[in-house]
Amino acid sequence: MVATATNPLRVGLRQERVIAPQCLVIFGASGDLTHRKLVPALFELFKQRRLPSEFALLGCARRPWSDDEFRGKMAEALASKIAENQEAWDQFASKLFYEPVDLQQPEDVVRLGGRLETIDQQCATRGNRTFYLSVSPKFYGTGCRALADAGLLKDPQRSRVVIEKPFGRDYGSAQALNRVVKSCGQENQIFRIDHYLGKETVQNIMVLRFANTIFEPIWNRNYISSVQITAAETVGVEERAGYYETSGALRDMVQNHLTQMLAITAMEPPGRFDPEAIRNEKAKVLQAARLADEQEPWNCCIRGQYGPGGSHDAPLAGYRQEPGVDPNSTTETYVAMKLFVDNWRWQGVPFYVRTGKRLAKRLSEVVLTFREAPVHLFDAATGGPTANQLILRIQPDEGAEFRFEVKSPGSGMRSRPIDMEFSYDESFGEPSDEGYVRLLADAMLSDPTLFTRSDEVEAAWRLYTPLLELIEDSPWQLPIHPYESRTWGPAAADALLARDGLLWRRP
Amino acid sequence: MSPQLTLQTPLELAPSEVPTYLEQLWSTEQQGNTGSGANTFCLLIWQPAWAEQQLVRSGRLNGPITGQQSNELLDAGRQAVIDTDLPLSTPPTAGELIAAVAQLDGDHKADDLRGQYIDPALSELQPRRLITLAPTINANQGLETLVAAYCPLPEEGGGTTACGDVVVLRGGHDALRDGMSILQPLLPPSMPSWVWWNGFLDEAPDLMDQLACAPRRLILDTAVGNASHCLNLLRSRVESGQAVNDLNWLRLRSWRETLAMVFDPPNRRDALCHITQLDIDVEGHHPAQGLLMAAWIADRLGWQLQGSKISEEGVTAQFTRHDGADIRFQLMTVPTGQPSVHAGQMVGLRLICQPEQGQGVCVILCAESGGCMRLEGGGMASLELHEEIVSVQHASPEMDVARLLSGGHDSTNPLLAAAAPLAARLLN
Repeated sequence: MVATATNPLRVGLRQERVIAPQCLVIFGASGDLTHRKLVPALFELFKQRRLPSEFALLGCARRPWSDDEFRGKMAEALASKIAENQEAWDQFASKLFYEPVDLQQPEDVVRLGGRLETIDQQCATRGNRTFYLSVSPKFYGTGCRALADAGLLKDPQRSRVVIEKPFGRDYGSAQALNRVVKSCGQENQIFRIDHYLGKETVQNIMVLRFANTIFEPIWNRNYISSVQITAAETVGVEERAGYYETSGALRDMVQNHLTQMLAITAMEPPGRFDPEAIRNEKAKVLQAARLADEQEPWNCCIRGQYGPGGSHDAPLAGYRQEPGVDPNSTTETYVAMKLFVDNWRWQGVPFYVRTGKRLAKRLSEVVLTFREAPVHLFDAATGGPTANQLILRIQPDEGAEFRFEVKSPGSGMRSRPIDMEFSYDESFGEPSDEGYVRLLADAMLSDPTLFTRSDEVEAAWRLYTPLLELIEDSPWQLPIHPYESRTWGPAAADALLARDGLLWRRP
Repeated sequence: MSPQLTLQTPLELAPSEVPTYLEQLWSTEQQGNTGSGANTFCLLIWQPAWAEQQLVRSGRLNGPITGQQSNELLDAGRQAVIDTDLPLSTPPTAGELIAAVAQLDGDHKADDLRGQYIDPALSELQPRRLITLAPTINANQGLETLVAAYCPLPEEGGGTTACGDVVVLRGGHDALRDGMSILQPLLPPSMPSWVWWNGFLDEAPDLMDQLACAPRRLILDTAVGNASHCLNLLRSRVESGQAVNDLNWLRLRSWRETLAMVFDPPNRRDALCHITQLDIDVEGHHPAQGLLMAAWIADRLGWQLQGSKISEEGVTAQFTRHDGADIRFQLMTVPTGQPSVHAGQMVGLRLICQPEQGQGVCVILCAESGGCMRLEGGGMASLELHEEIVSVQHASPEMDVARLLSGGHDSTNPLLAAAAPLAARLLN
């Protein structure tokens, strides 16, 4: 980020939609996500004056905290953000409340209804409520049921439920959960969150494609030879071993974040910018996607697990040595796979997706590689001509670059690749909001555009069903390849692309 | 999309019967299966449509009178500008034109359907109640009160039908003033009420005070009426704490956005501290919009107004920057062949930045519809030039109002609140 003063002419120009008066109820308020992401995002919205004055945040969890204790815990967790905004925090904190609630106890939920009515009186929130389920996934269904039984979801205009990922563990459980959730309210009340969709750069893929005429004509099998989607992390499992051991990279990253990036990259242009039109197109492309080899998935999927690494002075533990991890764990921390999208636009174009922990760099990107020029007229300074690439950088260093050949200076006619860059920092000079800022605001505005619909979720799970079944039934056929921490993953993943004469991009 | 007409023929009632009739209409027993009353907002519209009424009366436009800004109305207005020997830069619904057409003979009649045509942009928002005050050119005409319910048909089938109703008060000035006593009972306290003054801001001040009283939210257009009066009215309303939205300010959006965009790259920010000159060109002789733009820039950059002067050509003023250096401001009114519907729309802006060291910068913004030759001249060759074309899309007033209503806007935009007093001072 370039350190600079704010553009004074930019202040106040954002055309933000106005959030109606309401109470946001967070279940799991004592959890990590609440103080790490949700409350900071709401505080950011407050500072940007995008929350209505008639707003309340009610934290709910089983711990017997009081309002003041909850405010204190949040202040402690956000200390660094509050330091320069003490006055704003004091105003914001006055809107925070807490109610001890166990969603499994009907009497607790009934009491919650009473507390919400009191808050409506106190804060003029007019019975308008957003319920955020930041609880263990096993409580999503029962949580929705409890809210519905207490009559808290009966008004579809004034109540909505936000559900965190993962939505189900596989196709069957996602279907079952959808059935429960839909029996509790209407689809337009359900907001299945995927925070990647809140990223400015992911949304920019749609703008880049559908607001410009130069990209869409070449955004197809005639011009694009392959697509790579990467979400790489440098961190290990950290304090999430308990959860991660039961999910692994496939469930934690691929089924949701990477699949959503694939959907937005590959979808057809919607007829209009409308939540249902966009979600229809995303669902269609996911329904057309398949593993490159569904019969023998081991030919198109590589699983890996990070081993020890680092330097002598700063050693890094391997996954199996991490606290809380089974020393014989076969949970994957890395996945690479090859997919196809069987439709007119993408037939035959391989989509390679990869994600992993403890990789060499933290980055997320989509790389579209174009077909080579049919005839090479010039010598290439780098040995051979480089295919044109459009690289959409999701994070960090948000932006895009386009790689193409130019004449290398000198008397000869030799070509070499150069990069034409667009950087959010250089163009706008301001950091973009965290994904949760955008998504929380959208949920409170009842705008489902950036949330996944039931059929999208199910299509995404169905896509990976052959892999999940194989891991369940015959895990030895999809072995875990160890890789050294802070490298780009197992050699087998390189071999997956090498078979097609390709390389993973080394950013 | 063409405007929707109410499905039932409006019922003419005595004014005193209107509140009771509407109360019964929406009572639970009467709802049946046809839909429910929308729980949204009420919109009161001052709808004089003077130009349309005069053009119809003089036989230059066929009826019915709708109050909508149709292409036929604009064509007839432009033709009347030529026929009445007014300057070609006169907008087709300008006050001068209305006064000139009023002198012409004619007594043509047409149905007056003001308040009964509902623009789709507005009906999509499902207003609970639209109340139209329709003054007639015959100032002595008595009061007529019309009522109709309507249920907008959902475009894609399905969906909940939320119905509303329309109330029309039609008559001469005095009759309307008397009829206003029925308004307050027609505005449910649980819903926000908006007043759209769709006429000259310097007409019927007594009715405006009665109609646009707080906490009703006011929508006005500072391009309609005497510029000084418009800006003073805007300032006083903003300072009184009423929620005010100005369509003229709304139309500046692409200018503000484009200028901000020029200075988004961090390496250009420093130039904002070294501005020495600001020039703005506007169409015709209505400086309100240009002054609002200048006031916004001055407010955002912390300039202090030292003094201003009004002349035939426009307005000049002197500001000082934070560092005490002077800034020269000039607003020029320029003639145009095909004037915008709205008086005084901006056609160009130039900012000159002269740092003590290094190269100066000149930023020029031009409306896509006009040239910028005047701003491009004057020895700019030695400066680093950034030139942008501003896309100015002319939406109908109904579309602009719908955009405001859909955004909530329950308070005055802070940028407008800061700019309005300064813009008014520039003209005083």
